[in-house]
Amino acid sequence: MRDVWSCRFHRGVRGICLAALIAALPSVAYGADSEVDKLARLQHKLDQSIQMIEALAARVHELEARQTAPGLAPLAATGPSDAGPRLETVEQKVAQIETSNATRRTDDTGLPIHGFADVGAGDHNPFNPGLKGFNVGNLDFYLTPRLGERTLALFELNFEVATNGSVGVDLERAQIGYQFSDQATVWLGRFHTPYGFINTALHHGAWISDALRRPKFVQFEDHGGSLPAHTVGAWLTGSDRAGSGKLLYDLYAGNGQEIVGGVVDMRNAGNTHGSPIVGGRLGYQFGSGPVDGLTLGLHSLSSRIDDDQIPVDVTRVNMYGGYAVYDTDRWEHIAELYFFNDRDLTGGSGSRRSEAGFLQVGYRAPWGIPYARYERASFKQGDQYFLQQSTGNSYYRTAIGVRFDIDLKSALKFELANTRDTDRVVDEYNEALVQYAIRF
Amino acid sequence: MEFGEIRSTVVRLALIICGLPACAGLAPAGPALDQLPMRWHDERDHAVTLAEFGGHRVLLTMAYANCHRICPVIIDELKRFQDVLDARGEVMDFVIVGYDPEHEDQTTWRQYRTRNHLPRANWHFISGTRDDTERLARQLGFDYWMYDAHVMHGSRVVLFDARGALVAVADPAKRDWAAML
Repeated sequence: MRDVWSCRFHRGVRGICLAALIAALPSVAYGADSEVDKLARLQHKLDQSIQMIEALAARVHELEARQTAPGLAPLAATGPSDAGPRLETVEQKVAQIETSNATRRTDDTGLPIHGFADVGAGDHNPFNPGLKGFNVGNLDFYLTPRLGERTLALFELNFEVATNGSVGVDLERAQIGYQFSDQATVWLGRFHTPYGFINTALHHGAWISDALRRPKFVQFEDHGGSLPAHTVGAWLTGSDRAGSGKLLYDLYAGNGQEIVGGVVDMRNAGNTHGSPIVGGRLGYQFGSGPVDGLTLGLHSLSSRIDDDQIPVDVTRVNMYGGYAVYDTDRWEHIAELYFFNDRDLTGGSGSRRSEAGFLQVGYRAPWGIPYARYERASFKQGDQYFLQQSTGNSYYRTAIGVRFDIDLKSALKFELANTRDTDRVVDEYNEALVQYAIRF
Repeated sequence: MEFGEIRSTVVRLALIICGLPACAGLAPAGPALDQLPMRWHDERDHAVTLAEFGGHRVLLTMAYANCHRICPVIIDELKRFQDVLDARGEVMDFVIVGYDPEHEDQTTWRQYRTRNHLPRANWHFISGTRDDTERLARQLGFDYWMYDAHVMHGSRVVLFDARGALVAVADPAKRDWAAML
């Protein structure tokens, strides 16, 4: 038999056997023995290798048998009298492993980093029509550390390009909250002011939104928006079942905003006069029937808002309105209305009424999501709240666009828009925009 | 021992050592149904355990009711797969685990069933605690995270055999995914 092996060994299969031999016997050293001694030693080592392979083969068969009947092998090996305690031990070990795994992410592997990013191009910058070409959008990191059963935290750290092209870092949201129940959570910190639908549903990550950008007047403050999109304060929010649908509510109070450098500032560190913004929102989300997917709501806020002029203009901004959303697997329609009745607290020139609103309709087709939007803002320029904002002018805008999901984590969006500025500098311009947005 | 057997054994050992159990003809590794978190409620608010679904094959996926991008595609694919099984006369349980138990209760899933025309008794929409949901997702490789009320997730189904052993994983967003099962 050994001769046969030796013969086969020398005939061409030496590669595999030698590999096994080298792997198993790395310390083999050949001396200056004769060829016969060398052959005898080699045969001896080969015998040892065969024994080892047989032992390993038996082990493989055993493992394969366990794979075929999981859980049975340990019981069979120990016998029926031993099975109960052994099974209990195994279950305890599994439970320990599961517990360990369940806590590993928070205790050992740290906080996962997730977020969004987008870049784009166009014949105008989407937030500053005076600029053209390619643009960098946001790099938005979203952190939600798990702190316990009831304590919640949420941070949104955004590296964004301002309308003048400079890169800034903004803690867009910094909230720490306590969840009293499924129906009530209190947040403290900086949050998106609960009005309308978009401001608290579609945050800074561009990927999340079907449209390439928000309507202009509900943009964030540093992207041309005219509303106080952020509030620093306290926010009670929740929902509860009511009939077949859900009742949604929000109540909040925070630092009254200020207009600084032509932009509404949320006063992260507090304001000088101590007057708060207070507001609320109430909605109903239908859950069944022909209006399944429809949400209707009302919103209102009041805030004393100063500016950085000398002398300071002080305005009591009173805003109220409503919103409607129809959100299904096929349709995404959003409408928001805002009415202002702002009172001049400095000059005593009385109150001024303004309005703004938009309607966006979208269809979720298998190949993409086409959408169309009409928006209108009519802001009284005698109202210091709008006048002191660099983008507080009145305008009309119509837009059509489409979103294509390239894969589960990236989307390409296109938008064509026509904008007519109707006061300050009367102007009209068209835009062709493209945006590449991802989540990670 | 013949040389052919030895060569076969060496090759298999090499594959095992190299960490390629699939190439060695072994089943994909993964937890069995009875190793997953146990406390769940179905859309009728009945307490259920995943181990209860043993007896025939189980196709498990995760979803959230307000998803309008990925979940509708997955559910449509599962419906098509159900039709294929019906044509073959095969029985399988479909278990859909809710990603977001804090925003989606049993009523939500009952309405989801109605809205999506999913009356069959072998389809089960279950939800549990946030911890159990996260643990199950980790054990079965469902990668997801929450962006406020939005769930960022992928497309995945896992198949368990009649004894509850995990035997296959597939992506319903891909063509011919069912052929992998």
